[in-house]
Amino acid sequence: MEPYTQPFWEELEDGTVLIHACESCERRFFPPSPVCPHCQATDVEWVETTGCGKLFSFTRTHATAAAFADELVVGTVELDDGPKLLAPIDEPYSALEIGAPVRIEPTEYTADHDRGWLEDYPFFTARKLEETDA
Amino acid sequence: MTGAVTPTVVGVGTVPNGTHSVPERDLALTVLRDALDEAPIELGAVDGLYMPAPRPWTQQGFFSTYLLRVLGLDVSQSLEISTGGTSGGHAFHTAVSDIREGRVETALVLAVERNSTIDTTGPYFEYILKSFDAEFESPIGMTVPAAYAQSMQRYVHEHGLDRDDLAEIVVKNRKNGAENPEGLFDDAPARDEVLDARPVADPIRLFDCPAPCDGAAAILLTGTEEPSPSGITVTGTGFHHEPTHFLMGPDADPTELPAVGQAVDSALDRADNAIDDIDVFEPYAPFPHIEAMITEELGLAERGQGVDACLAGRTAPDGEIPISPSGGCLGRGHPPMVTPLLNYIEAVRQLRKTAATQISDAERVLTTAEHGHLNGVTAAVFAGGCD
Repeated sequence: MEPYTQPFWEELEDGTVLIHACESCERRFFPPSPVCPHCQATDVEWVETTGCGKLFSFTRTHATAAAFADELVVGTVELDDGPKLLAPIDEPYSALEIGAPVRIEPTEYTADHDRGWLEDYPFFTARKLEETDA
Repeated sequence: MTGAVTPTVVGVGTVPNGTHSVPERDLALTVLRDALDEAPIELGAVDGLYMPAPRPWTQQGFFSTYLLRVLGLDVSQSLEISTGGTSGGHAFHTAVSDIREGRVETALVLAVERNSTIDTTGPYFEYILKSFDAEFESPIGMTVPAAYAQSMQRYVHEHGLDRDDLAEIVVKNRKNGAENPEGLFDDAPARDEVLDARPVADPIRLFDCPAPCDGAAAILLTGTEEPSPSGITVTGTGFHHEPTHFLMGPDADPTELPAVGQAVDSALDRADNAIDDIDVFEPYAPFPHIEAMITEELGLAERGQGVDACLAGRTAPDGEIPISPSGGCLGRGHPPMVTPLLNYIEAVRQLRKTAATQISDAERVLTTAEHGHLNGVTAAVFAGGCD
């Protein structure tokens, strides 16, 4: 059996952000799962997104686990397709504001944290878009 | 009440929050001895033991079984549960339920935790990291303050609040905590000191965070068919879990706390009370904006006006809705496995009229516990202590 979420990581390598759509209630959700968390239906499918969304909120840590830099900029991205996800943000904290357009993009994973079977896959980060790109 | 038997608190015991150099066993036996000193029962009468699972860095594993051997207790029910900050709440609720249903006659609820034995800058963060989505969130390096910082940021944004005003909630709770002889702190910072403290996860600063510490508490419960007005009874309990995990989940809105509202509604229904009947509030509110949001969720303030309730003095000990006269998580120190029991014991002391910061004419107290980002919440109503 292969991990259910493997298609997400396979596609992310090529810059595509996949989420799930429920064929029963037509809602979209993340992370991918064989059960829709909105209606509990199991007729779900993978769908592509642009990876674009808006910054719902954000923070900058000053202390965390030893595998990471103490200062991390992290935020909640609300994708244009609906779901929200937590993401590292590849921007200075001072440059951020709620509502800023961002895009989820693949990035090399450099932290000394054990991701298990995902060791050789990239992770993702949110980067600000210029208003004209949004 | 719908049950024939009413759970009644007959003894409580605590140690001061702080640093304790003795094993968890000794803290547990100390608070148990103190609870027994207050109770008109012998230890051998205890037929149910309920406790949060001690933290994974506790030297003694299999703690409840070990404790039963040490005490020589033969019990009908025992529970050692791990659900984060609601662990103590679930242990207490299960004891209450078992007494209501007649499964046990005398319940011991006990919690013990030492955080002084772990380096909070390393292994503790590794432990916390596993609380988040292991595949999509832990690899980011998430922390609990990093989750609450985002809800604070969003809450302030949505309601157009002055973030600095949240410092007044910290000041109020630290003042209350400084009056509590079992609290961690002897003093209270001023507003400017709260705002100038070192950042932890922007915009959250050090004094906005609950300080981890060691602690222990025990509560003895029995069933009473006709409780006297002077007895302290548990009149209502409630629980709710939203389909959320920290900040995420279908339709999750981290600026509202629906699990608080639903758990409290259940507890009040069971107690046959309305929110206006409550004289004292002892919520599990680990960050200042969470106290403001709980105030709103309970209908004690309009949305976005929970901070104003504090600024106007409404939540102070002499206000109309006293919140955390014990100091709560922010003012008292915070051993999360023990904090729910400390809230219950504060409720008992308010009703006995022996609290360090006593609310006059307290007849009913509402307490809560929570885990995650208030994804799961327990609520309990205490009443009694009338002459």
